[in-house]
Amino acid sequence: MSLLKLENITKRFGGLIAVNKVSLEISKGEFVGIVGPNGSGKTTLFNVISGVYFPEEGRVIFDGQDITTLQPYKRAPLGIGRTFQIPRPFASATVRENVAVGAMFGTLSGKVSVDESLEIADKTIERVRLQEHKDKPAGALTPVEKKLMEIARALAMKPKLLLMDEAMAGMHPNDIDQMVAFIKQIAVEEKIAIVSMVEHIMRAVVGMAEKVIVLHQGSKIVDAPTKEALEDPKVVEVYLGHPPEE
Amino acid sequence: MFLEQLTGNLIQGIVLGAVYGMATMGLSLIFGVLKVVNVGHGAFIMVGAFVTLWLFNALGINPILAVPVAFAVGMGLGFIFYYTTMQRLIKAPELATLLATFSIGILLEELVKLTFGSEFRGYNWVVGKIDIGVTVLPMSKLYACIGSVIIALLLYLWFNKTRAGSAVRSVVEDSEGARVCGVNVGGAYALSFALGIGLTVASGVLLTMFIPVGINPYMGGGYTLKAFVIAVLGGLSSPYGAFFGGLAFGLIENGSYTLFALIPGVEPFALTRFLSFVMLLAILLIKPTGLLSTK
Amino acid sequence: MKKEITKYYPLIPVFTAYLFLFLVGKNISGMWQLVAMLLFYCAMGQAFNIFLGMTGYVDFGYVAFMGVGTYGMALAITNLAHIEGLGIGIIIIGFILALLMSTLLSMAVGAVALRLRGAYFAIATIGVNEGFRFLIEGARIWNGSEGLIFTAQLNQILGREAASSLMTYWADIMVLFIAALAAFVTLFYMRSKIGYALTALREDEDAAKVMGINVTKYKITAFITSACFAGLVGATSWALKTPYVFPPEVFEIHYTIEAIIIVLLGGAGTLLGPVVGGLIYGISKYYLSIFMPGFQLLIFAPIIIIIIVLFPEGVVGMLKSRTKGSVLARFII
Ligand SMILES: Nc1ncnc2c1ncn2[C@@H]1O[C@H](COP(=O)(O)OP(=O)(O)OP(=O)(O)O)[C@@H](O)[C@H]1O
Ligand SMILES: [Mg+2]
Repeated sequence: MSLLKLENITKRFGGLIAVNKVSLEISKGEFVGIVGPNGSGKTTLFNVISGVYFPEEGRVIFDGQDITTLQPYKRAPLGIGRTFQIPRPFASATVRENVAVGAMFGTLSGKVSVDESLEIADKTIERVRLQEHKDKPAGALTPVEKKLMEIARALAMKPKLLLMDEAMAGMHPNDIDQMVAFIKQIAVEEKIAIVSMVEHIMRAVVGMAEKVIVLHQGSKIVDAPTKEALEDPKVVEVYLGHPPEE
Repeated sequence: MFLEQLTGNLIQGIVLGAVYGMATMGLSLIFGVLKVVNVGHGAFIMVGAFVTLWLFNALGINPILAVPVAFAVGMGLGFIFYYTTMQRLIKAPELATLLATFSIGILLEELVKLTFGSEFRGYNWVVGKIDIGVTVLPMSKLYACIGSVIIALLLYLWFNKTRAGSAVRSVVEDSEGARVCGVNVGGAYALSFALGIGLTVASGVLLTMFIPVGINPYMGGGYTLKAFVIAVLGGLSSPYGAFFGGLAFGLIENGSYTLFALIPGVEPFALTRFLSFVMLLAILLIKPTGLLSTK
Repeated sequence: MKKEITKYYPLIPVFTAYLFLFLVGKNISGMWQLVAMLLFYCAMGQAFNIFLGMTGYVDFGYVAFMGVGTYGMALAITNLAHIEGLGIGIIIIGFILALLMSTLLSMAVGAVALRLRGAYFAIATIGVNEGFRFLIEGARIWNGSEGLIFTAQLNQILGREAASSLMTYWADIMVLFIAALAAFVTLFYMRSKIGYALTALREDEDAAKVMGINVTKYKITAFITSACFAGLVGATSWALKTPYVFPPEVFEIHYTIEAIIIVLLGGAGTLLGPVVGGLIYGISKYYLSIFMPGFQLLIFAPIIIIIIVLFPEGVVGMLKSRTKGSVLARFII
C-alpha cells in the first residue's frame, strides 16, 4: 500500500491554477524528487499535503486515511514532517527549543514530555552538526544553518514522510553531497522516513531520488524512475533547452 | 407616525453614513497598502475637529474651507509619523505597528488636551435647515454629506487617473511585483500613509457638523470603533468598500436607535453602541474579508 | 529532583522584589499607598503578560476582564450580605464569582476573536470593554449606569473595623499573592509544553500548525488564564479596596494602555518583565502625578513608541541577552 496518494488535486489562487489535477503515489521508504521550473506548483503541492491549503478538488490520502481537509496540526502527528523553502524558524527560541518543538508536538504518540523532547533535540541537532549553535536563537543562524535546523526539527517529529522544500538551495556542492548521504542514511536507518524533495538542484535529485516527478505549470508531465525522467524530452524542453547537469 | 419617524431617521442615517464612510476611507487605504491597522484612527478625526474649531472660532473661517486645511495638516502629520515611526516597523511583528499607532493616537489626544483643555466645545455655524417632510435636515449636515461624496470621487479619480495613484494601486495588488517594475514602493507607502491620515483628518471637519458641542480631545475613541465596524463591513482594505460600509452603518445605527427607543426601560443610545460592537464581532466571524466585498 | 527545583530559580528575583515591596510598605511609614499601587501594576502586568507577552496577540479590550471580575465580587457582596454568619466566606464566594465571570467572558470573546489572526484579532477586541459597558448601561443590567455601591454591606457583614482593614491593608496583601501566583503560573507555562507551543505560535503561527501544534487550544488557554488573573485583580484592587463599581470606570481603556506599557517596558513574554515594568511605570507615574499632574500619558505615549522602535525587547529582554551564558542567566528569564 502506498504511503501517500494524491488523487486529482487541484488548487487555485483566484484565477490562477497553481496545481492542476495532479495524481501521484509515494510508497513507504521511497525517495522521490519533485522538480519543475519556478512557479510550477511544487511548493503549493507541499502545502496541500501538509495542510496549509485545502485543495479545491481531489483527495489526499495518507497511510490509508483521507486527510484532504484535516487540520494541519493533526497531520503532523500522523507522520508528515516538512521544511520550508524560505526557512521559518521560531526566531526568538533557541535552535534546541525549535527542534524540541518538533519532537513535542509532531510525534505520533503525542506524549513526549518536555525533557524527553529536549533530549531528542540534542541528539538530532548533533546529527545535522549544529551542536555549536544549539543555544543560539534560531533567528540568528545563517540561511543554510536555518535549513539544517528545519531538517532537524522535521526529523525530530519522526516522520514517515519528510517533505523537503529546496532544503539544499544555497549550499555548497560538497555540502550537498554530504547532506544527501546523511539524509539517505537517516531515512534508511529509521526505516520510517520517506524523503520526498523539491529541488532545482539536479545534483541532489540525481544523488538521491529513485523516482522523479516533473511539474510544469501546475500539471504533472512526467512520473518515472530518475534516469528515465531526466532524459525525457519533455523535461528537457521544460527547462528551456538546459539539459540537467552531469 | 412611527414609520414616518423611522424614514426620517433613515434619511438622517444616509446623510451621516456618507460622512462615516468618508471618515473610514483613510483607515482602509492605510490597511490596504501598508497592512497596518491604524488603531489611533479616531485621534486623527479629533485633530480635524479641532482644526475646524480653531479656524472658526479664532479666525472666523468657514468650516467648508477647513477641509483642505485639515487635509494638509493630516498629510503633514502622516509624513512625520511615517518617517519617524512607521517606516521602521513595516517589517516588525504586527504587535509593533498596532501599539505604535495606538500610542500615536494617545500622543495626539494628550497634545490637544494640553493645548485646548479637555472640556467639550463646539462652534456655531448658522446656515439654516431644510424641511423635507419626514425630517428636518440642517444644511451643514447636507454640506458634509455632499463634501464626503465629492472627496470619495476625487480619491477615485486620483487612483485611476494619476501616475502616483496607479503606483499605489500596483503596490496594493503585489508589492514585490511593483518593486520589480520600478515602482518606488517605499515612496508609495509614505504617500498612502500620509494620504490616509489626510483623508481622516479632513473627515474630522465634516463630522463636526453632526456634533455641535461634542468636540473634545477624547472624542475619537468612539469613532475608532465605528470605523473598524465600517471598514470590516467594506472589506477592510478597500477605500470604496469603506464608503459603502459607512452608508450601511449610518442606516443601521439610526434604524436600530429608533427601534431600541421603543423598548421600555433601556438606554437606546448605549444599546446602539453595544450593537456596533456585536456587529463587528459577527462580521469578523462570518466573513473577515468583509460583507460587502466580493472576494 | 534537583533539576526540578533549578527550573524554578527565576522565581527568586520576582519573589524577592515582592517581598522587598512588602517590607518597604510595612516598615517605612507613609509608603503603603505607593506600595499598594505598585503591587497593582505588577499584578496587572503579570496577568496581561500571560496573553500579550506569550502569544504576541494584542487584546485592546483587556480591561473588560478586570471589569467583570470587579462585578463578580460586587455582586457577591451586594446579594449575599443579608445571609447571617457568612463572614469572610463572602469574599471567597466573590472570588469564585469573579473567576467564573471572567472565564465565561474570555471564553465568549475568545471563541470569536481567537479564530482571527493578528490585526483582525486586535480589531475584534478593541470594542469588548466598551461593548460590555454599553450592554450593562443600555440594558440596565446590575443597576446599569448607576453602578453598585456596597460599603454598607461590607461593614455589615465583616464589622466596621475588619472592613476597613480589609480595604486598606488585606486587599493589598491579596493583590501581592495574586501577582506571585500569576508569576508562578507564567513560569509553569514557560517550562511546560504550553510555553513551547505559545513561543512557536507567536513567532510563526502557520509553521507552528504544521509542526503539530493545536494553536487555537493554546491561545485559548493563555487567554483564559490571563483573563482569570485580570478578574482576580479587579475583584481585589477595585472591588475590595474601593467598595463600589461604576461601568465607565471599570471598563476604561486607560487600564489596558497601562498594562501594555508595563509589559512592553519590562519585556514582553519574560517572567521578570512585568515586575520591572510595573515598578518603573508605577514609580514614575506616582512622582509625575505629584510634580506634573495630568501629564502622565503625554510622557508615556512617546515612551511606548520609542520602546517599540528602538528597544522592542524591553528592559528584561535586554538584561537577558546581556547575561546570556553567565550564572545570572538562570535567574533572569
Ligand atoms: N498564497 C498564494 N496566493 C496566490 N498565488 C500563489 C500563492 N502561493 C503560490 N501562488 C502561485 O502559485 C503558483 C505556483 O507557486 P509555487 O510556489 O507552488 O511554485 P514552485 O514550483 O514552488 O516555484 P519555486 O520554484 O519558485 O519555488 C505560482 O504562480 C505562484 O505565484
Ligand atoms: Mg517553491
